[in-house]
Amino acid sequence: MRKDAGKTVIPGDATAPGEQDRSALDALFSVAYEELRRLASSVSRGDPGATLSPTALVNEAWLKLSESPSFATTSRLHFKRIAARAMRQVLIEAARRRNADKRGGGAAVVTFDDAMHAGATDADELIALDAALDELARIHPRQALMVESRFFGGLDIPETAELLQVSEATVLRDWRAAKAWLAHELRRPR
Amino acid sequence: MDSARWERIQLLFHHAAELRAEDRRSYLDAECGKDAQMASDVLALIDADAAGSSLLDRGVEAAAHSVLGEGTIPAALRSAFGPYRITELLGEGGMGVVYLARRPDFGTLAAIKILRDAWLSPSRRERFASEQRTLAQLNHPSIARLYDADSLEDGTPWFVMEYVRGQPLTAYADAHESSIEERLRLLREVGEAVLHAHRHAVIHRDLKPSNILVTDEGAVKLLDFGIAKQLESLDEPSDHTRTGMRMMTPAYAAPEQLRGGRLGNYTDIYSLGVILYELLTGRLPFDVADRKPAEIDVMIAEHAPEKPSDAARSPSATAAIRERASTMSKGEWSDLDVLCLTAMHAESSRRYLTVEALIRDIDHYLLGEPLEAQPDSTRYRVGKFIRRNWRPVSAAAAIFLAVVALVIFYTVRVTDARNSALAQAARTQRIQSFMTKLFEGGDESVGPADSLRVVTLIDRGVQEARSLDGEPAVQAELLQTLGGLYEKLGNLPRADSLLGASLEKRRALLGDDHPDVGESLVALGMLRDAQAKLPEAESLVREGLGKIMHALPPDHPSVIGATEALGRVLQDRGDYEHAIPVLESVVRMREATDTLSPDLAQSINQLANTQFYAGHYSVSDSLTHRALDMHRTLFGDGHPLVADNLIDLGAIQYEFGRYEEAERFYRQALDINKRWYGNNHFETASNLTLLGRALVKEERFDEATDALTQALAIQERVYGPVHPQVASTLNEIGSVALARKKLDDAEAAYRRMLDIYRVAYGDKHYLIAVAMSNISTVYARRGNYAQAEQLMHEVVTRFTDALSPEHMSTGIARIKLGHTMVKQEKWRPGAIECRAGYDILLKQKAQQQIWLEMARQDLGTAYTALGDSADASRFNAELASMHEQSAKN
Repeated sequence: MRKDAGKTVIPGDATAPGEQDRSALDALFSVAYEELRRLASSVSRGDPGATLSPTALVNEAWLKLSESPSFATTSRLHFKRIAARAMRQVLIEAARRRNADKRGGGAAVVTFDDAMHAGATDADELIALDAALDELARIHPRQALMVESRFFGGLDIPETAELLQVSEATVLRDWRAAKAWLAHELRRPR
Repeated sequence: MDSARWERIQLLFHHAAELRAEDRRSYLDAECGKDAQMASDVLALIDADAAGSSLLDRGVEAAAHSVLGEGTIPAALRSAFGPYRITELLGEGGMGVVYLARRPDFGTLAAIKILRDAWLSPSRRERFASEQRTLAQLNHPSIARLYDADSLEDGTPWFVMEYVRGQPLTAYADAHESSIEERLRLLREVGEAVLHAHRHAVIHRDLKPSNILVTDEGAVKLLDFGIAKQLESLDEPSDHTRTGMRMMTPAYAAPEQLRGGRLGNYTDIYSLGVILYELLTGRLPFDVADRKPAEIDVMIAEHAPEKPSDAARSPSATAAIRERASTMSKGEWSDLDVLCLTAMHAESSRRYLTVEALIRDIDHYLLGEPLEAQPDSTRYRVGKFIRRNWRPVSAAAAIFLAVVALVIFYTVRVTDARNSALAQAARTQRIQSFMTKLFEGGDESVGPADSLRVVTLIDRGVQEARSLDGEPAVQAELLQTLGGLYEKLGNLPRADSLLGASLEKRRALLGDDHPDVGESLVALGMLRDAQAKLPEAESLVREGLGKIMHALPPDHPSVIGATEALGRVLQDRGDYEHAIPVLESVVRMREATDTLSPDLAQSINQLANTQFYAGHYSVSDSLTHRALDMHRTLFGDGHPLVADNLIDLGAIQYEFGRYEEAERFYRQALDINKRWYGNNHFETASNLTLLGRALVKEERFDEATDALTQALAIQERVYGPVHPQVASTLNEIGSVALARKKLDDAEAAYRRMLDIYRVAYGDKHYLIAVAMSNISTVYARRGNYAQAEQLMHEVVTRFTDALSPEHMSTGIARIKLGHTMVKQEKWRPGAIECRAGYDILLKQKAQQQIWLEMARQDLGTAYTALGDSADASRFNAELASMHEQSAKN
């Protein structure tokens, strides 16, 4: 099933910018996509010297975008939080498409990369994580935001603490519990 | 699960996780009681926590790899695209994947480009479509051609283009050990392709060796118009946002690209220059590794690249490059330097205007003809030096322009006065070589070294000037200019000696009546004015003006300039009555030839100031607004002259008693001044003083004290302890102390102020009276009204003499005098003084409400005591209505 393009725009929430920022967000998605792709390729190269991390990527994306007028008034932390959301959506979207392709794939498909099949579980897990995060957001919104920011956006502990306005100890505690719960959810048969 | 349950589970989880494994079960059973599900949920969490192997632990990189993974073509991809069959992956970038494809019916090869993950965003689809449109328009042997385009059922777009088998430009040249001439011919071919694109209003925007392939046959092919742009669509702001942020290759990107500025043909020309640089030297002009675009932009703006000739011959170049470099003569290299550095000039307007011009110069070079491009002129280098050092130079920047103007002035004079053309030409040459030496920091083609400070530069200029003994006229001119520069820099003793030397030289050379002698006298007079030696200043300026007027027509710029100088000295002496008509005549003379010019704005400004000091605030306000508008138009919003006007407007608001308005103007000015001059400059100090003054009136004493103390420290350092500026700040500090009831501090500040004014202005100046009046206020606050009264008598006399009996200051002084008398129950004389002051103030355009209120109060009290019930009730009623009015407001 295909989602329409409009879905890729970040849904409005208290911290998301308004409609006028659509083009900036579109740009952010493109950057998030290209950065994630670079991230992915650093893994495939198996390059131990590659220092790419989500943190580095989001930081770079920030550097690239922070000078554009649309982001002029956005704080770095706020930007990282939006970027984390963008990364999540790009990955989930890609995972959904991958699964759809896999299930409905025709005979004419050619592949140059066997990793595609090996990676199928990750796609499933990503989709499950997305759903589990939505559930977590219902019972504990702060923890859901924290997982999204840390896992997808690479925010470190102090940044997460600042974003959520809690102590670092609370972040560590929340992270451990939420991670355990999500891991458990992902292991549940679907 | 609900929130409460989740909270509980977490609590148990954290606690249980701390326990030994065997103790957990019993702990949880005890805590959960009958809720066995909760206990097992917690244990499941503990298991998951211990395993640590979920997606969250593996990291987002792994997930990204498996769902976006490199080397994977879109799964929806089929082997057939129209008549083409895919055979091999050629490469991929952020946008798409390129495959090699064969067309079985013709047996030909082609490249197919597919947009990967087209669903992701409209901007990606648009960029892809734009490249396709661009290629479709371009039809040139050196540009890869578009053959076909379509999209898959899922909307993934693709297009087919000419397949080029070749090597990147620089790799090709190195592999073939191409000579410099061959390299230039290759670049010329690239230029032809780029020119073709430009003629179709397409700029490539991403020219770099890896986008330029050379086939085995030596044919150049330009690839990848992925971020190329139709010129007419360049202004779209959304496009600007998107293209500004990524995609370009910083090493070859022009400064305007790095900073997201306006792009044009010149952007490609810059990249061609960088490619040429690399072809010539084997390296990039700037080390851009690990730098952000903005940093590279700054680097390019602040540093000239090493000349290609030097880079190619430097020890760090490879042996092959050095050997190749050694085959070229010095003259050839110098042309190559000019050619290459013109193409990649940091300022787009100084590059080759078209690729055609670049190609022409390559042809000139190959034919051994002179180039059309010229190395940067001295004037340009001076300009660049100023821009590069804008902050440190700031106030002194005018200096360089002055020196440059001097050269131009001489050049013009030579053209004008052909009769003595020969002598003048020699003179001009002397000046030009003087300039060259002045700015010779090292390398002549890049201007003075960055480390060269302004003062050093002027010192060097003075040395140069002093050595010009064979050219006394030139020497005198330079000494005067440099003296003016020192005056602007605040080094008054140095300025004094140079201006004095210039005057003597001119007297000896030209005779006493020459207008140049007059100009020297005026310049020296203005220096005396700055030194607060006002009577001497006036007589020097008058003497100079006399000589100038005698020799030159009345509308000559020198006459106008000297007249204005006289107006300023008169104003500084407090002689507004004479200053105003003088300055009005200057404005009229300037208006006769100008509607908008720095000189006219300056003259209007000067007149506005004098009107202000004369108490004509509304006149001053409208003049100041006029000057402000002109300055903004001429110099932009961030210029110190704009700040000056804002300060003037603030002062006017202050006099009107609108202190918040005043504060607003002062703060606007302070922003400009701090940015322009820095935090330790006398302009900033004086601005701080004014701000402090407004804050005092707003009773924001802490902020005020802070501003004033900063200002005083700067001023004592810059001006020395005895200077009117220091006095003016002391006055404000006294006022704050007074408001805070620190009467001894207040008196000390006012006394120092009085002493300074006596030294600076002599005993008759009205500012002496201002200081005394303030001291008298301290006495009154102490309750010592007799002492206060005695001093106020003197103040009234001084104001009456220095200003006029009807002046506002005289009025205020009489009210204050009356007040001290009323306080001592000297009803009759108190009422007389108060009433006289009151009548004077009522006639002023600007109502001094505070003083009027004081007068009404005292008059009400005094008349009541005197039994004059009619007058008493009149002033009491006025007072009541005044209070009512202010309550309403």
